[in-house]
Amino acid sequence: MLKSKTKQLLTALAFSTAIMASPMAANAADKGMSSVEAGKKIAFSKKKGNCLACHAMQGGAMAGNIGPALIAMKLRFPDKQKLVDKVWGKLDLQVPNSMMPPFGRNEVLTDADINKIVDFIYTL
Amino acid sequence: MKKLLLVALSLGATATATVSMAATMNTDPEQSSQQLRDYFKAKYPTINIADYKNGAYIFSADKMSQWEAAEEFPPYLDAIDAGEALYEKDKATFDKCFGSDITKVRVKFPRFNDKTNQVETLEGQINKCRTDAGLKAYKWKKGPIAQVSAYYAYNARGQKINVKINSEGAKKAFLAGQNFYVQPRGQFNLSCAKCHTYNAGRKARSNILSANLGHTTHFPVYRAKWKHLGTLEYRYTGCNKNMRAKPFKVQSTTYKNLEFFEAYMDNGLEINGPGYRE
Ligand code: HEC
Ligand code: HEC
Repeated sequence: MLKSKTKQLLTALAFSTAIMASPMAANAADKGMSSVEAGKKIAFSKKKGNCLACHAMQGGAMAGNIGPALIAMKLRFPDKQKLVDKVWGKLDLQVPNSMMPPFGRNEVLTDADINKIVDFIYTL
Repeated sequence: MKKLLLVALSLGATATATVSMAATMNTDPEQSSQQLRDYFKAKYPTINIADYKNGAYIFSADKMSQWEAAEEFPPYLDAIDAGEALYEKDKATFDKCFGSDITKVRVKFPRFNDKTNQVETLEGQINKCRTDAGLKAYKWKKGPIAQVSAYYAYNARGQKINVKINSEGAKKAFLAGQNFYVQPRGQFNLSCAKCHTYNAGRKARSNILSANLGHTTHFPVYRAKWKHLGTLEYRYTGCNKNMRAKPFKVQSTTYKNLEFFEAYMDNGLEINGPGYRE
């Protein structure tokens, strides 16, 4: 009884934090898609993230090899916020002359989309 | 997993280790050219400088053999014939501007004109020649302009690119082109150099990126994607769009300077235009 109540509470909490973290989730993502699934879709889409143009990623075909393979992201970025900032294009995380586009800074993607992409690549 | 991570990390490291060139970009054209050759020699020690005329195909044995097969019966032959017909039609006019030896025209361009203080490209001068004689200018980018240019290129095959910089004005035009080449622009914050120098030989999706060394040898180009011949500056507009940057007008001062810079870097490479590309 108690156990299932805690579980319910936890789910509710997780749900609301997910909403808070990405307020656009409900309308931007296809119905019923988790943030990870939505992030994968954006990351693989040629029109949006197009991360595969440069990065090998598990599950993606015909990847380029301009950037490093996106694997073990949790190991590389123990601090998830730093990964968000990297994809966003924060200046202090930029590598000089790198091809990595500053997706947030140059408004290629919305912050909500970047959060979903990061949720996805954090599983790689 | 650990091994994979190491590979990923070292790839990242090479991506960052090869980027020091822009910082040391030179103000002396000859030194810039030497530096670029040294850079590619160090990056790809087994590839001869002379082979860079063959574009991205030098980086893949598979693609090279497909391309060689395509070049045996190339789709641009009709365009060369069309160029010849156009040339014959207005031969008197063209010969007055460029001389009657059709093998000696392509190699004169691009060049710097100290009187007008502008770069002159082959295509630009073809149209100037026409309008000066009261003929109608060809449309830029493709069609007759590319066909006549291809006819001159074809007849100059085997000669070497020989762009001269003999004045302060010419040097300024070169430096303006070089500057454009290394400057990031557009929504993706990309520069020509990021793709065609630092990452030449790497793949964007399944497209291998050509080196800028050799960019001008084989133009105009018949692209399978276009299904027709197009000029070098037409290609520039495509790359600028891919960078999500606003393209400039073909034959604008900006693109003429860029062409002048790119062609000077190709000095000594063989002219092998028109060429076929994917
Ligand atoms: C045009 C090429 C290009 C595209 C497109 C691209 N990247 Fe990158 N990326 C790079 C390069 C090159 C590096 C390595 C240098 C650096 O850190 O900037 C990199 C680095 C990274 C890193 C840091 C990796 C590490 O271990 O340090 C992450 C994370 C990353 N990219 C994620 C993404 C995501 C997510 C996308 C798509 C939304 C994307 N990239 C699209 C070229 C690209
Ligand atoms: C995002 C990467 C990227 C950027 C940035 C870029 N290009 Fe390209 N470019 C390509 C690709 C991909 C091709 C087709 C494959 C090849 O031949 O390199 C290409 C082809 C070319 C070609 C034809 C090469 C040939 O052998 O026929 C020229 C010339 C060229 N680019 C010039 C430029 C110039 C000049 C700029 C800057 C204004 C530029 N590119 C910026 C990706 C890029």
